[in-house]
Amino acid sequence: MHIRSLFYFIGEALKSIARNGWMSVASIAVVAITLLILGSFMVLNYNVTLITEDVKEQVQIVLYVDEEASGEDRLKLQQKLVGHPQMEEVRFVSRDEALERLKRQLGDRSYLVEGYEGEDNPLRDSYELRTKIPEDIAIVAGEIKEYPGVDYVDYGSGVVEPLFQFTGVVRWMGLIFMAGLAVTAVFLIAHTIRLTVYIRRKEIMIMKYVGATDWFIRWPFVFEGLILGFIGAVIPIIIIYYGYNTAVAWAQTNIYFVSLVSPEDIIEEMVKVLLPLGVILGVLGSSISVRRFLKV
Amino acid sequence: MAKLLIEARNIKKRYQMGEVIVYALRGVDFTLYEKELVVVLGPSGSGKSTLLNIIGGMDRASEGEFYFGDFHLHEASERQLTYYRRNEVGFIFQFYNLMPNLTAYENIDLSAQIAENPLDIDGLLEQVGLSERRDHFPSQLSGGEQQRVAIARGLAKNPRMLLCDEPTGSLDLASGIQVLKLLRDFCDDYQKTVVIITHNTEISKMADRVVYLKDGLVDKVEINDSPLSAEQVSW
Ligand SMILES: Nc1ncnc2c1ncn2[C@@H]1O[C@H](COP(=O)(O)OP(=O)(O)O)[C@@H](O)[C@H]1O
Ligand SMILES: [Mg+2]
Repeated sequence: MHIRSLFYFIGEALKSIARNGWMSVASIAVVAITLLILGSFMVLNYNVTLITEDVKEQVQIVLYVDEEASGEDRLKLQQKLVGHPQMEEVRFVSRDEALERLKRQLGDRSYLVEGYEGEDNPLRDSYELRTKIPEDIAIVAGEIKEYPGVDYVDYGSGVVEPLFQFTGVVRWMGLIFMAGLAVTAVFLIAHTIRLTVYIRRKEIMIMKYVGATDWFIRWPFVFEGLILGFIGAVIPIIIIYYGYNTAVAWAQTNIYFVSLVSPEDIIEEMVKVLLPLGVILGVLGSSISVRRFLKV
Repeated sequence: MAKLLIEARNIKKRYQMGEVIVYALRGVDFTLYEKELVVVLGPSGSGKSTLLNIIGGMDRASEGEFYFGDFHLHEASERQLTYYRRNEVGFIFQFYNLMPNLTAYENIDLSAQIAENPLDIDGLLEQVGLSERRDHFPSQLSGGEQQRVAIARGLAKNPRMLLCDEPTGSLDLASGIQVLKLLRDFCDDYQKTVVIITHNTEISKMADRVVYLKDGLVDKVEINDSPLSAEQVSW
C-alpha cells in the first residue's frame, strides 16, 4: 500500500465516521457497552481470584503433638507428615517457639506468661501444615488425625469450606453471566453492522461501478471499523478506571482488611485486553459486512 | 471511417428465476465506434440496462463474444474487468449514484484517485458549471446539479467511453437539456464515445447512431446524418 493511499483510506474513514453521525455513535456505543460489561466482570474476577488466593495462602492445618508421645512416635509422625504426597509445607513449631510467639502477640502484657519458660511451659509442640491444593485440607486433616502421636488437628473447619464454596459460586455465576452477555453482544454487534452495511451497500455498489478494486473499497471500511472499535474500547477503559479508583478508595476506608487489585494493575489489564478486543471487533465487523456486499 | 471501439457478438443474458429462465438479452450484436454519440432506444424491460452493464464490464454475458480492441472481455478475469471499468468506462445513472457522504469535489476525486490518467477536477467542475458548488454534498444539490457532478465524475478518470443509463430520466426538461448538452460537448471536445440509454424517442434525434432494442434483440440501427443539438431537442 502506498503512503498516499494509506492517508487517503484513513482520511476516508474519518470522513465517513464524522458524516455518518448517529450510525457511528451507535457502533461505538455497542462496542463500548459490550467491553464495559466484559471489563467489569474481569475486574470482579481479578479481585475474587486475589481474595481467594489470599485466603488459600492463609489456610493451614495445625497439628498438636500428644504430650505423652514417645520419641519414636514423634520421629515416625515427622516422617509420615513429610512423606505425605499432598503436603506442600511442613513446619515444626516447638513449644518454646510457641511461647515466644505468644509473648510477642501479647506485647505489653507479655508479663502474663512470664515464668512459664522451660519445664513449666503449658503449650504443646505443633506442626503447621499446608497442602498442595488448599481445597484438599479437610481430607488431609482427616487422614493425619489418625497418625501416631497426634493429640488433635485444627484446620478452621466451618470457615474454609463455605468460603471456597462461595468464591466458586461467584466465579461460576460470573462466567455464565459473561457467556450470556457475550452472546447478546455478538448479536448486537452483528445487528449494528447489518444496519450500517444495509445503509451503505449503495456506496459499495457505486465504488464498484467507478472501478475500485475490492480492496480499495474494503480499506476505508476496515479503518473505519478500527477507529470505531478503538474509541469504543477507550470509553469503557476510562469509565472502569475512574469507577474502580472510587471503589478501591471506598473499600480502603470501609472494609480495609480486604486486599484488592491495585487500580494501576487493573488499568494495565484493561488496556491489554479491551483495546485489542475493541479493534478486532471493529475490524472484523466491518470486514465481514463489506465482504457480504462485495459479492454483488 | 471511424475506428471501432467495441464489438459484441451474439450477446445473451439469462437469469434463472426459480424454475424458469428469463432472457434479458437473446443474441445482441453491438458495435461502438470512437467519438460517436449512440442512443440505445427501447421500451422498459427490453434489456437496455443489461446491455449497458455488460458493455461497461459490470456484468458478464451468459453467452457471446465481446471485444474491446484486442481485449476479450468475455474471457476476462474479475481483476481485468475492474481495471477496464476503472480506466475505460464512465458510468452515469438515472439516480446519479453519488456518494452521499462526499462533497461534489470528493465524489469526482474518488474516481480520479484510482484512474491512471485523471483529468483536473476543478477544471471539470467549472465545465459543468458547478465551481461554487464544489464543497456541497449531494443532498444540497438539485437533481440536475447532481447529475452534472456525476458526469464530471464519469469523465474525471478520462475514460474512452461514457455509458449513461437514462441520464435525464428523473430531471425536468431544462436540466435534462443541460445534461444532454454536456454529454454532446464532451463527446465532441474530449473525443469520447457516449452511449445514452433511454426510452425517450426525442433524445434519439441528437444521436449519431440509434440502436433500437426490443425484447432483448436489436430491432434496427439507424444512422443519423444530421443530429440535432441538445437545445433543439424537447419533450
Ligand atoms: N437480476 C435480474 N434477475 C432477473 N431478471 C432480471 C435481472 N435484471 C434484469 N432482469 C430482467 O431482464 C429484462 C431486461 O431488464 P433491463 O435490462 O433492466 O431492461 P431495461 O433497462 O430496458 O428496462 C427484464 O425483463 C428484467 O426483468
Ligand atoms: Mg433500465
